[in-house]
Amino acid sequence: MIPAQLFCWHFMAYPHLPADFDEKYASGWVTVPNALWDAEKSRGLYQEYIDQMALADRLGFDGFVLNEHHQNVYGLAPSPNLIAATLTQATSHGKIVVLGNLLPLHLTPMRVAEEYAMLDMMSDGRIIAGFAPGGGPETFNYDVPSASSREKFWEALDLIVRAWTEDGPFIHEGRHFPLRYVNPWPKPLQKPHPPVWVPGSRSPGTLIECAKRGYCYFLSSRSHGSATGRAKDQFTQVLEAHGRKYHPFRMGILLSCYVGEDDRTARAECEEGVWYFLKNCLKGHLRTEGRQLTFGPGVPYIPTKAWRQYLETSKPGRKLLGDAENWDELESSNSIIVGGPDTVFERLKTLIDNSDVGNLLIQFHLGNMGDDITSASMERFATQVAPRLREYSAKVFAERFPHLEEEYAAIGVAQ
Amino acid sequence: MTARVIEAAGRKIGIFEAGAGPPLVYLHGFADIHGVTAEPFPFHTALAEARRVIAPAHPGCAETDEYEDLYTVEDAVYHYLEVLDALELDRFDLVGHCMGGWIAAELAVRHPRRVASLTLMGASGLFVPGAPIGDVFMMAQPERGIDYAGLREMLFRSAKEPLAVELFPDGRGAMDDEVRRYQMLRFASFIGFKPPYFYNASLINRLHRADCPALVLWGEDDHMVPRAHGEAYAAGLPGCNGLEIIKGVGHAAHLEAPDEVAGLVRGFLS
Repeated sequence: MIPAQLFCWHFMAYPHLPADFDEKYASGWVTVPNALWDAEKSRGLYQEYIDQMALADRLGFDGFVLNEHHQNVYGLAPSPNLIAATLTQATSHGKIVVLGNLLPLHLTPMRVAEEYAMLDMMSDGRIIAGFAPGGGPETFNYDVPSASSREKFWEALDLIVRAWTEDGPFIHEGRHFPLRYVNPWPKPLQKPHPPVWVPGSRSPGTLIECAKRGYCYFLSSRSHGSATGRAKDQFTQVLEAHGRKYHPFRMGILLSCYVGEDDRTARAECEEGVWYFLKNCLKGHLRTEGRQLTFGPGVPYIPTKAWRQYLETSKPGRKLLGDAENWDELESSNSIIVGGPDTVFERLKTLIDNSDVGNLLIQFHLGNMGDDITSASMERFATQVAPRLREYSAKVFAERFPHLEEEYAAIGVAQ
Repeated sequence: MTARVIEAAGRKIGIFEAGAGPPLVYLHGFADIHGVTAEPFPFHTALAEARRVIAPAHPGCAETDEYEDLYTVEDAVYHYLEVLDALELDRFDLVGHCMGGWIAAELAVRHPRRVASLTLMGASGLFVPGAPIGDVFMMAQPERGIDYAGLREMLFRSAKEPLAVELFPDGRGAMDDEVRRYQMLRFASFIGFKPPYFYNASLINRLHRADCPALVLWGEDDHMVPRAHGEAYAAGLPGCNGLEIIKGVGHAAHLEAPDEVAGLVRGFLS
């Protein structure tokens, strides 16, 4: 019996924006003026966020998730590996998931291969190696051409895994990252290599490339309606076409939770942080107000055929998560799950029922949420939601995936 | 006036062709044939009264296949050498707008004997310190999910120009136009995005090699490629008699003032 794996995702938002930020500034990304950065107010901020992940470790979470973003108020970890390095020392049990290093932003992928190998050794084999090509904002952050970013990404990732698994030195003859001496010291502890996770938003190309290689597919959508189950069905089909079987640990999803003592106090406590997150942190990313940079014609990373398909199946100006105007609208997006322990359990139970996804990557800290309520919410989750969720999910997965134990033993939870 | 698809080096190339007489190769930009519409604009039709106008679509645009070895402007130049050979065009007049002008200039400095004359309109391609080329990619991301005023403002004198609104409407235009716009941005992303942004720093010192007669013309209010780039082209091309400024128009001067621009080009060609 294998239960859902519960991860604590910390985005490390900038919490000190002025109250009129949304009125005055067009975006929280790329062009958000860094004169707003207040170093004095931000003293101790990284420590606070790292401590929250150390708390997650003591509370028995299965791991912690970090990610890479640049020039924005949504996430203050342009170098997630630095934070991961502190977690190798500040935690002792959970997996450290970096989701992920943005490969086309690096001069050579070998730097990422080396840093993950260091982190894997430093954490005694607790690294889950996430890799991403970067989305829209990253195009502008580091002037990465969108159109060729996907092929660069897969060349880079294949080189990294080869460097981890094949004895060097060898020559890499790729189109984008040719290198005469591939010979990383150190190599990772985990064999054959740390689990590899790759995010995607249901684009067929990413699903196929992940299925070919047996990597874990992380659905990067922040809303969970029927599309989450459809993504699982799509991945199941693609895996079968490549001679593999779907099981819940081949996929991960992102959601946010706030657990209060009951539904009423939960909402009252978290609402400020939630709206700060939606209106400020998502402005420029998942909000149409201002100029959304994550997806669109100016960041043409998907093939033309996929773009036509998108046009055929979407309406211009459709609402994104950050466009929610009131609490009911937010609730219906099934993205930020707020309530007492029973409510949160019931909604996660439904999500598991409908999606069969085993890796739940849960954001607890939202926007400018204080340390006190963030920690209290995590504790309630760990003591009053997680045990029930583990028991329930283990039972459901065992029923629906009779061979899960063998497959798990063969390739591990994370892959 | 015909639209046809030819094959060059194993790839399909979509071509618009009109008129008779000496051949003129036209390389397009964003607000242009193939960049947004399948049909020629009055400017192209007017050129076809004096020349056999041949306007291929860039790799990945309109009916032209994507070219998997396309990473730099050099690759685009070699792509066009294949196209020109397939069309058996040995010597021709060469006209380009925006990115098309950049590729035209790169072609002319490499193969000056094949280019009878060179006309550049709002051409990118040069590094001019202190005069950065506008960020067409960021402007192509609409405000509030629907508003393309920023893109129109970049490509025309004003976002409110009726032609600009017709070609780059808010919300969503006709499906095929939307797809063509996306293809053009994708082509631009392949060769124009990586720093240097829409330029090749080596080009300016090669311009003297393109010693054919040259016409450089610019919209007075070009918000994408600053006028300083026109001045640099005009100064660097030995066959150019100085920069021509088209009053009261923007980057897409040939669409905004078709009679004036076509008249200038035809006068120059004769």
